[in-house]
Amino acid sequence: MAPHSPGTDQIDTLLWIGFIAAAIVVVVVNVALFRAVRKYRSERGAEPRQLTSGRGIQFRVAGALTVFAAIVFILAVVFTDKAQQQPTTGAAGLAAAKERPLEIKATGQQWLWRYEYPNGAFSYYKLVVPVDTAVQLNLVSTDVVHTWNVPDLAGKHDAVPGKTNEVVFRADEEGSFGGEAATLSGQAYAAMRTDVEVVSPQAYEAFIEQQQSEIEAAQQRVVGLIENGEVP
Amino acid sequence: MSESPRPELVAEGFPGRPRPRWVELATSADHKDIGRILITGALGFLFLAAVEMLLMRLQLAIPENSFMTPVGFNRMLSTYGVTAIFFFAIPLVMGFFYYVAPLQVGARGTALPRLGQLGLALFGAGTILYYAGFMFTPSEAGVNPLSPLTELAFLSNNGVDAWATATGLATLGFVFLAIDLLTTLRRMRAPGMAWRRVPIFAWAATVGCWLMLAIGPVLLAALTMLMIDRNYDGIFFADGSGGAPLLWQHLSWIFYTGAYMLILIFAFGAIAEIVATFAGKPLFNRPAVMGSLAVIAVVGTLAWMQNMLTAPIGIGWMYFAMLMSLVLVVPFGLILFNLISTLVGGALRMRAPLLFAIGAISMISIGLAAELEQSLVAAAWQIKNTTDATASTHFALVGGAVFGGFAALHYWFPKMTGRTMGEYLSRLSFWTMIVGTLVAFVPLFFAGAEQGQVIDAYKFFSGKGLDAYNLIASIGVLILGIGIVMTLVNAIQSRVNGAEAGHDPWGGDTLEWFTLSPPEPHNFDVLPDVRSTRPMRDIREAIANRTARSEQQARESQPVA
Repeated sequence: MAPHSPGTDQIDTLLWIGFIAAAIVVVVVNVALFRAVRKYRSERGAEPRQLTSGRGIQFRVAGALTVFAAIVFILAVVFTDKAQQQPTTGAAGLAAAKERPLEIKATGQQWLWRYEYPNGAFSYYKLVVPVDTAVQLNLVSTDVVHTWNVPDLAGKHDAVPGKTNEVVFRADEEGSFGGEAATLSGQAYAAMRTDVEVVSPQAYEAFIEQQQSEIEAAQQRVVGLIENGEVP
Repeated sequence: MSESPRPELVAEGFPGRPRPRWVELATSADHKDIGRILITGALGFLFLAAVEMLLMRLQLAIPENSFMTPVGFNRMLSTYGVTAIFFFAIPLVMGFFYYVAPLQVGARGTALPRLGQLGLALFGAGTILYYAGFMFTPSEAGVNPLSPLTELAFLSNNGVDAWATATGLATLGFVFLAIDLLTTLRRMRAPGMAWRRVPIFAWAATVGCWLMLAIGPVLLAALTMLMIDRNYDGIFFADGSGGAPLLWQHLSWIFYTGAYMLILIFAFGAIAEIVATFAGKPLFNRPAVMGSLAVIAVVGTLAWMQNMLTAPIGIGWMYFAMLMSLVLVVPFGLILFNLISTLVGGALRMRAPLLFAIGAISMISIGLAAELEQSLVAAAWQIKNTTDATASTHFALVGGAVFGGFAALHYWFPKMTGRTMGEYLSRLSFWTMIVGTLVAFVPLFFAGAEQGQVIDAYKFFSGKGLDAYNLIASIGVLILGIGIVMTLVNAIQSRVNGAEAGHDPWGGDTLEWFTLSPPEPHNFDVLPDVRSTRPMRDIREAIANRTARSEQQARESQPVA
C-alpha cells in the first residue's frame, strides 16, 4: 500500500505509531519472560524466594502503563482527527469543487459498486474522479453491509442499509487504484472489487458528459422501442 | 423372640445394580463428570476446528484456487467460527471452571447440580443440531454473521436458523452452568475461605461466570430477534422498514468481545496457578491480579465498538471504543508484570504445564499488542477486516484457549484421571505448536497490514504480493494442527497408560490437590480450616512439623545405652 491522499498519509503515520507501540509491548514482555525462564531454573539449586510485592510497585507499574496508554491515545486522536478532515481541492483540481467537495454517491449492492455523479450520470465498478480534487463519497447500501475499501486513497468504511457513511479523499496523482470489498456479503464477495481511475479534471468532465449522453441515448432507445410496441 | 434384621445393615455391601459407565456419565449431575464431558467434547471440537481451518487454508494456499466453491468456503468459515468459539473455546473454559473451581474452594459439589446438568445437555443439543445441520445446509454468513445478510431475503435456506438455534442452545447452556457455578462459589466455600483467600483460578471462574451472565443473555436476545425476523416477518435487523442492521452488530459484538475477554480471563487464571506452583512461589501480588481480571471483564466488554470502527457510528463512539481498549493496557500489563515477576526468583520446574503457560503468555502478548494497533481509530480504517485482524485475534485466542487450555489440561489432567500426561510428547507438541502458530499467523500480519488482503474471502488474486504469505501461512496451520493433534493423542493415551500421579503430583498450594485423583464423588471427606491463600502448603508444613516432632519424641524416649 502506498498512500495517495492526505488522509491516508495520516493513517500511514498512525499505523507506524501503532506498530512501534505494539513492538515495544511484544519485545518488553517476551524479553522479560525469557530472561526469567532462563535464569531461574530449579537446576540452579536455589530455594525459591517467597517474594511478594507491596502496593507501591504495583502503583508505579500501573502508572507507567497509564502513561504509555495515554501517549498512544493522544497520538491516535491527533492523527485520526487529521485523517478524517475534509481535504481542500488544489490548484490542479476541478474548479467546481473548490468550495465544496465533489460529492459522489456510492451504492453497494451484491456484488457491485454503483457510482452516481452530480450530473446524474452513473457508472458501475469503475469510479472516475478528478486529480487533486476533494471528493466525498456518500456510501449507502441497497441490500447487505458492504465495506468500501481502496487502501491507497482512503480508509475503509461500511455501507450499511438505511445509513449514510462518508469517505473523503483527494488523490494526489493520476492513475488507477484498485480495491476489494472487505465485509463478507455473500457468495460473490471475493469478486466484489472496484477501481478508482484518477484523471485530469477535463477528462473527468468529458467522462461524465459522455456517460450521461450514452445513458440518455440508451433510455431514449428503450422508450422508443416500448412506444413502437417492439418491447411489451 | 428374634429381633427383625435392620434393613440398613442388610443392605450394607449389597451389590448395587451395575450400570454401564456411559449411563453413569450421561445421567450424572456431579460437577466433575459434567466438567470432564465439557472438556473432552471441547477438545474433540478443537480437532474439528483445526481440520476446518486447514481446509480453508488449503483453499487459500495458492491464488485463485478452485479447491472450494465460494459457497463451500463460506459454509466452512461459518462452521469454523461456531466450532472454534461456541463448541471449543467457551465450553473448554466453562468445563475447567466447572471442574476445578468447586474443588479449589472446598465445596463438596455444586449448589444447583441439576441446572449444571441441564447446561451440559443444552450445549450438547446445540452441537448436535449444528452438525446435523451441516449435513444439509450450514450457514453461509461468516463467523459473526452480520445482518442484513442473515435476513431471509438474502439467505433463504435454513442454515442461518440452524446456526442461531445451535449457538442459542449452547449459550443458554453456558449461562446455566455459570449460574450454578456462581452460586456454588458464593455460598459453598470451605470454612475460612474468604474472598481474599480464594485461589486465583476460582476467582477467574467467578469473574468469568459473572461475565457470562452479562453477555450470554445479550446474544440470546439478539438471536431471538434474528429468529423472529426470519420466521415471523420481523424487522428488527431488516433495513428500510424501521429495522436497524447496526443493532445486530452492537449486540453480537458485546457477546463476542466479552467471550474474547472470558477466554483470556480463564487463561490468565490458569497460568497464574501454574506459574506460582512451578516456581514454588506465591503470586507476586494477588490483589492486583484479582482486580485486573475484574477490570478486564468490565472494560474489555465495554470496548465492543472496537469491532465497528468502520461502521457509521460517529467518531465520538469510535474514540470511546479506543479509550476502553487502551484502558485495558493497564490491567493486562499488570497481570503480565505479576506473572513474570512470579517467575523471577523462583525455582522453575520446566514441566509441560509451565511450558505451555509460558507459551501462552508469549502468544497472548503478541495478540494483545496487535489488538492495540487494531484499536487506534484511523489505523483500524486501514487494517480492520484484513488478515492482520485474523492474525491478532488468533494470536490472542490460540494463545488463550489452545496454549492456555493445554497448560490447564496438563496441569489438572492428573487430578481428573489419576495419571500424568507423557512429558516427551508434550514437549514435542509444544514446540511444534509454537513454530506452527508463528509460521501460520505472522505472515498474515504482513499480508493484511502491508498488502491489505481482505478477510473472509474465498480466494485472493495473484500479482498482489500475497502468494508467498498465504502459502507460508497454510504450511504454518498444518504444523499447528499437527502439534495440536499430538497433545490430543497424548491425552487419550495417558488416560490409560500415563504414569500414576498420586493426589498431588505438582506440589500445588490449592485445595483440589487435597483430594484423591480422581476425586471421590463427594470431593472431600474432611475439610481443613483455610487460614491463608495457600492451604495445601499449610497442610504440608503441619505434616512436616508433626513428623519432625514425633521423630524427636521417638529419639528422646529411647533409652540411653
